[in-house]
Amino acid sequence: MKEKIIHKGAEANLYCGNWFDKKVIFKYRIPKKYRNEELDKTIRNIRTLNEARALIRVKNYGLNVPQVYEIDTKNSIIVMKYIEGEKLKNVLDRLANSRKEEIFKEIGRYIAILHMNGHIHGDITTSNIILTKNQKIFFIDFGLHEYSDSIEDKSVDLHLLKRILISTHGKDFNMCFNAFLTGYHQQYRKEATEENHQIIKNIDVIETRGRYVKKEERL
Amino acid sequence: MESKKKICLGIESTAHTFGVGVLDFEGNVYSLVNDIYTPKEGGLHPVLVKEHHLNNFMITIKNALSNANCSIKDIGLIAFSDSPGLGQVLKIGAIIARMLSQILKIPIIGVNHCIAHIEIGRLMCNIEDPLTLYVSGGNTIVSAFESARYQIFGETLDLSIGNMLDSFARDAGLAHPGGPKIEKLAQKSNNYLELPYVVKGMDLSFSGLYTAAKRLIESEQYGKNYNLSDVAYSVQETCFAMLTEVTERALAHTEKKEVLLTGGVAANKKLQKMIEYICKEHNARFEVVPLKYAGDNGVMIGWTGILRYKMEGGQEISDTFIKPKERMDQITVPWRD
Repeated sequence: MKEKIIHKGAEANLYCGNWFDKKVIFKYRIPKKYRNEELDKTIRNIRTLNEARALIRVKNYGLNVPQVYEIDTKNSIIVMKYIEGEKLKNVLDRLANSRKEEIFKEIGRYIAILHMNGHIHGDITTSNIILTKNQKIFFIDFGLHEYSDSIEDKSVDLHLLKRILISTHGKDFNMCFNAFLTGYHQQYRKEATEENHQIIKNIDVIETRGRYVKKEERL
Repeated sequence: MESKKKICLGIESTAHTFGVGVLDFEGNVYSLVNDIYTPKEGGLHPVLVKEHHLNNFMITIKNALSNANCSIKDIGLIAFSDSPGLGQVLKIGAIIARMLSQILKIPIIGVNHCIAHIEIGRLMCNIEDPLTLYVSGGNTIVSAFESARYQIFGETLDLSIGNMLDSFARDAGLAHPGGPKIEKLAQKSNNYLELPYVVKGMDLSFSGLYTAAKRLIESEQYGKNYNLSDVAYSVQETCFAMLTEVTERALAHTEKKEVLLTGGVAANKKLQKMIEYICKEHNARFEVVPLKYAGDNGVMIGWTGILRYKMEGGQEISDTFIKPKERMDQITVPWRD
C-alpha cells in the first residue's frame, strides 16, 4: 500500500508504505512527460529491472543495500525495505574528521568489492549513500548499474565520486577522497594484479580527456 | 553619457561571433553589436574566422559606439574574452583589447566566456543562484555555484550539443547553422527511431548518437521507411531528453530553486519546454536568457569584466594571457561570496 511521498528524486518518486506488515519504500519511476513515450518506457523499464537485479546480486557480497521484496516492471515500481537514516550528503558536515575518514575508508572498501566482482555502481554520490542510526553505510540507487570488468568503466565510476566530492564537499575533498582510496586499495585484491592502481591512475587520464584541458596536461 | 569611468566596452571573440557590448557599471546596456562569421560550406575554420574578425572588428566597434551614442573616449574599462575558445580567434580579441587599453590608458580585464554566459543570465533574468544549463556550439555544461566556484556537475564527454546538431545538419545537406532547421523539421514528425541514449552519472556523450543518426540517413531505408523529419525528430528527442535528465539529476542533487537555460541552443522551443517541465516538477523557477543575450555577445563579457573589476581591479597588460583550454571550475568568482 503506497502511503505518502517521502522523496522526489530526479527520476523516481519514493513512497513510504506497508507491504505485508513490513515498512517499505515504493520506488516508482514516474513517466517523464517531457520525453517521447516510447523512449520513456524503454528507459524506465530497463532501469527498473537493472536496479532490482543489481540490488539482489550485490547483497550477496555483504554490501548493505535495501532488500528487494517485489518488482513491477509494467509500472516501473520496486518495493524494497525502508532504510532508516540520513543521506551522507546532509550529515557529512556535522561529523568529526576522524569519523569522515572512517566512513570514506569503508565506502572505498565496499566499492572495491563491487568492482572486483564486475559491478559498476554508475552513480556513486553522497546523495546515494545512507548513514543509519547505528552507523551502518547503505548504498542505494542502482539505476545506472552496469556489469563490467574493464578498467575504464571502473575509473569512470570513481571519477564521478571524485567530481561530486570536489563540487559538493570541496573543503573535505582531499581528506575524504584519500580515505576512500586507502580503503579501496586495502580491499582490492585480484591475484597479484595491479589492477587497482591502474584504475586509480586512469582517473587522471579521464580528467585530461575532458573538454578544455591544456595540451601540456594531456597524457 | 555619464562620467568617464562608468562605461565598459566588452569584446567577445572566442568563436564565430565577434561581439561588442557597451554598458555601464550598473548593468544598463547601451549597445550590443554582433558580427557573425558564416561559412559558405563546411564548419568553422579557425584561420578563416580569424581573418573575418580581423577585417571587421573596426566597423563593429564603431557601430557599437555610435549605437550607444558615445565616443571611444567615454570608455573607462575594457573587458575581453580570454578563455575558452579557438586560440587564434581569442588572440584577436586580446590584441584589440590590449591596444585600446594602452591607447586610452584605461584598465583591462580578461573574462571567462562560460562564466560570462551565467552572469549575464543572472543579470537579465534577475535570478540569484541558479542551476545553469549552458548549451551551445562549443559547450554543454550543467553548472551551479558551490564551494566558491562555478562547479561543473555534468558536461559532455565528447561533442557539444550544438556541434552535434550542426554536424548532423551538414550531413543531411542543411546549411549552417543547422539547429533551427532541425527544429523546424522535427515539428513535422512524431515517428521515433531508436538512437543511443548515453548518460553517465551526470555526464553526457553525443558522439554515438551522431554516428547512429548519420547512418540512418545513409541507409537504404532512408526515404522509404522514414524521412529526414523523422530522423531530425528522433535526434532532438533523444539528445534533449538526455540533457533534461542530467539537468534534473543536478537539480535534485544541488536542491537549487532556480534554473537558467542559456547558450545558442537555448533558443530551441522544444528544449525550453522540456526543461520547464522538470522545473515545475521540482518547484524551481525557470528562466531562459533572452535570445539576444543567450548567444555569444560582448555585453556578457563587459558585465562579467565589471563584476571582477569591482572586486579586484584591472589586470597588468603582461598578465592578459589567452587561455584557450581554461575550465570554468578553475576560476575564482570573488563577487559571489
